[in-house]
Amino acid sequence: MLRVTPAVPPCRLRWVACLGAVVGMVITSTVVETAVRPPKLDYQLHTLDNGLTVILSEDHSTPIVHLQLVYRVGSKNELPGRTGFAHLFEHMMFKGSRNVLPDSHLTLISQVGGDGNAYTTEDATTFLETVPAQYLPLVLWLEADRMATLRIDEATFDAERQVVKEERRWRYEDTPFGLLSEIMYDQAFSVHPYKHTAIGSMEDLEAASVEDVRRFFDTYYVPENATLVLVGDFESAEALDLVKQYFDRVPAAKQPVPRDIPREPSQNEERRVTITENENWPLPAVIVAHHITYDGHPDAYPLHIAAKLLSDGQSSRIFRRLVYDDQLAVSAFGQGHIIEDPNLFYAVSIVQPGRTSEESEAALIGEFDRLKTELISEQELQRAKNQFARDYVLGRATVEQKASHLSHAAVIHDDITTADAEFDIFMNITREDVRRVAETYFTSENRLVLTIRPPAPGGRSFLPPGGGQ
Amino acid sequence: MRRVAGRGLLVCLTLAGAVSATAQPVNWPRENPPSPLPAREVIFPPYEVRTLANGLPVVVVMHHEQPAVNLRLILRAGAASDPRSKNGVAALMGQLLDQGTTSRTATEIAETVDSIGGIINVGVGTDLSFVNVLVLKDSFEFAADLLADVVRNPLFAPAEIERQRQQVLSGLQVSYDDPAYLAGVVFGRLVYGFHPYGMPHNGTPESVPGLTRDDLRAFHDTHFAPNNALLAVVGDVDAEAAFAAVERVFGDWERKTLPPPPSAEMPPPTRRVIVIDKPGSVQTAIRVGQVGLQRTSPDYLTYDVAIKILGGEGGNRLGSVLRIERSLTYAASAEMASRRFGGDFMAKTDTRSDATAEALRLIVDEVARLRRERVSRRELRNAQAYLAGSFPLTLETPNAIAAQVLESLLYGLDLDDLPTYPDRIDAVTVNDIQRVSRAYLQPQRLSIVLVGEASAFLDDLPGVGFDTVEVLSVDELDLMSADLRRSSTDDGNPRP
Repeated sequence: MLRVTPAVPPCRLRWVACLGAVVGMVITSTVVETAVRPPKLDYQLHTLDNGLTVILSEDHSTPIVHLQLVYRVGSKNELPGRTGFAHLFEHMMFKGSRNVLPDSHLTLISQVGGDGNAYTTEDATTFLETVPAQYLPLVLWLEADRMATLRIDEATFDAERQVVKEERRWRYEDTPFGLLSEIMYDQAFSVHPYKHTAIGSMEDLEAASVEDVRRFFDTYYVPENATLVLVGDFESAEALDLVKQYFDRVPAAKQPVPRDIPREPSQNEERRVTITENENWPLPAVIVAHHITYDGHPDAYPLHIAAKLLSDGQSSRIFRRLVYDDQLAVSAFGQGHIIEDPNLFYAVSIVQPGRTSEESEAALIGEFDRLKTELISEQELQRAKNQFARDYVLGRATVEQKASHLSHAAVIHDDITTADAEFDIFMNITREDVRRVAETYFTSENRLVLTIRPPAPGGRSFLPPGGGQ
Repeated sequence: MRRVAGRGLLVCLTLAGAVSATAQPVNWPRENPPSPLPAREVIFPPYEVRTLANGLPVVVVMHHEQPAVNLRLILRAGAASDPRSKNGVAALMGQLLDQGTTSRTATEIAETVDSIGGIINVGVGTDLSFVNVLVLKDSFEFAADLLADVVRNPLFAPAEIERQRQQVLSGLQVSYDDPAYLAGVVFGRLVYGFHPYGMPHNGTPESVPGLTRDDLRAFHDTHFAPNNALLAVVGDVDAEAAFAAVERVFGDWERKTLPPPPSAEMPPPTRRVIVIDKPGSVQTAIRVGQVGLQRTSPDYLTYDVAIKILGGEGGNRLGSVLRIERSLTYAASAEMASRRFGGDFMAKTDTRSDATAEALRLIVDEVARLRRERVSRRELRNAQAYLAGSFPLTLETPNAIAAQVLESLLYGLDLDDLPTYPDRIDAVTVNDIQRVSRAYLQPQRLSIVLVGEASAFLDDLPGVGFDTVEVLSVDELDLMSADLRRSSTDDGNPRP
């Protein structure tokens, strides 16, 4: 399984009676001056002697427990010529260990009524299980067994490589617009491994060897590079004893975990690229992307607010202008992919038949520029904060979601307190902050304008001539 | 991994291989999985159902951990209620519900919902339509007002209709490049023929341009009524406050005389293989299945277990054969779709083009094997262990609880059965599985759809037993025609 989703930090809400541009008497009666603030997460943080970070958070509302084991290794740790390897390796973690038969990890979990999965991002690889609470020992035992004694052999590796190639074909190559991210990142980056996406290329998947698997396992799948999070129906003292029982015996790493990721040089002039995609590209796409900062940098929070303004809801600026008012786009959005190393803030328009790529480009750039030339309104700022508060609340409904917030704070921020503290940071973002980050990052020199076209016109169209009006 | 008869043998081989394969810690013990801790009691969480005088059933599920409230309204009419010549009307009507009411413009609705950090979702399924409004708890009364307004008073303004029509047509243009969409809609037509369940929900490039404001209004007037709806209020709200708010905004919604449900015969299962040629594809989308059961069938639960052994959680022979044994795919599965008046089962996978025939044969063989051979006790026990054991996982969020209650109400099932799901699963026997497999699976009469680069696999199909195949290109596809093919006089452009 591979899932590449930006982790969006939470935010803080303050309900104020700010009416202004907001329409209707309904608002007067419904917006009240109280802070609907979700409860903080209650947790314990431990480190075992072998370096494993352990986070425990009790939640007795349902008799289930969620385990999340995050290894701080992702596609940005891949070496040249080995793109896609972190994800391919993730698959190998289901191929058995000393006490677990190949492909039986998930069976052992489903046989107790549990669900298991894994996903790989640019920065981390996460293994997760949710089981009825009494099976906590089983999932700890399973994870420790494969952390210490993964079974690695040529035949299973070759077989799993084929599975991952099918995953690439299915998820990216044969899906409309499936290769959009891959094309964008390849154009936007020159040396940082964010140049490639987590699925990697077919050539590199083919080139990977079982020796690579062994080296990757020894280098990155070590306790000091891992964070274990448990959320659910357990007593912390008992759970910690179980964690120690199964993980204390995993040996510590023999060498430090390498952290030498090439830095991307700053971009000093606008890049403009037009590409034609022959397959699975039904309509033109226009992308306007800017290099931004890393997750946890003070500028990251106003950038999240900017993304809300541009794209959250039918009143957001990009949706309203490109999709609703001017009908330039079938779909349009803008978002910051704010992760461990500096990545991109990008906006995409899928061009409405009958309209031009140039119109979409001008509109997207116009919306970025507007964030620099005009202060956003107080109402827009408040709306964005309220939307963050909603995401924060909705994003903590399940034990898995709670664990993801804790692991993200501990692994990517290297500071577990951010799991709750970011709420206040968002609370204090100002209109000037948003303008400042727009001026910093949304410049023409720092911009990639990428147009991806379908093959020559004459293809299928379901719209009357001159449509799109 | 090879399929080896006898679990013991496989264990020995595996352990021997593992020792030589990795540099493992010397002291790592060989051991069996640990015993579980004492089991916790699993209780179906409390909920309350009341019915308003006008016939609207209201479910309240309280949950006070997170300060949010979700209102979920379901109408018992969806795309299957589209008039035959008005395919796509329910879907277009649904898209317009939040695009303006008699007292709020589309822009006003968007501004107010976004400003309070709310979410409104509208949608249309086969047998139902829905509107969800989610807000933080302070805005609950507003959410109730807004929900009632969009459900009861949509304006269907001409400018908004044209906007949404454009979106539907553009969306179809993208979908016709999507193998998963094409495989799904063609499969529906093969299994259900012209039964309403076989029609594409969003309509077709031919039908959507002809839909009028009167069509939308007529659909809404006919089907949107309290005695044809269900409502759930879920989350951080007091039950009495919830019922009071619902009474306030829906209490004066008037009952209607409802039309008879869509009635049409399901066609008998017929063996038919359709290939949609999509040159340039690197994979083939494979869909295999036939008519199944309606949701209220007494055999529903047992057949569902059988299909899960074929391709679902806790079982999945298809995944074992196609992915684990042969590395032909990332995912292979089978699932039931069971609705009010009928249903189907569908097995599916996506495989590289040159493996299409092999994968298809393996899927059909597994369907036949499920009918021919009794499942083993162990295989059934594993499936039951998952389905019954995962019951507490399905009770984690108030929305998941509400979904189970709403499903029971929608299909007229017994609410008292909800907490006994694990017991009913555990009561299924090997003989039961064999009985339903024999009763409902007809491996000689499967509907089969293949979407991909035809030239890469057509010649292989006779060799694996499929010598009668219909091939058509995406541009020739007409979902409203009996043979799915545009008539030869048609120039391929949409009709006005």
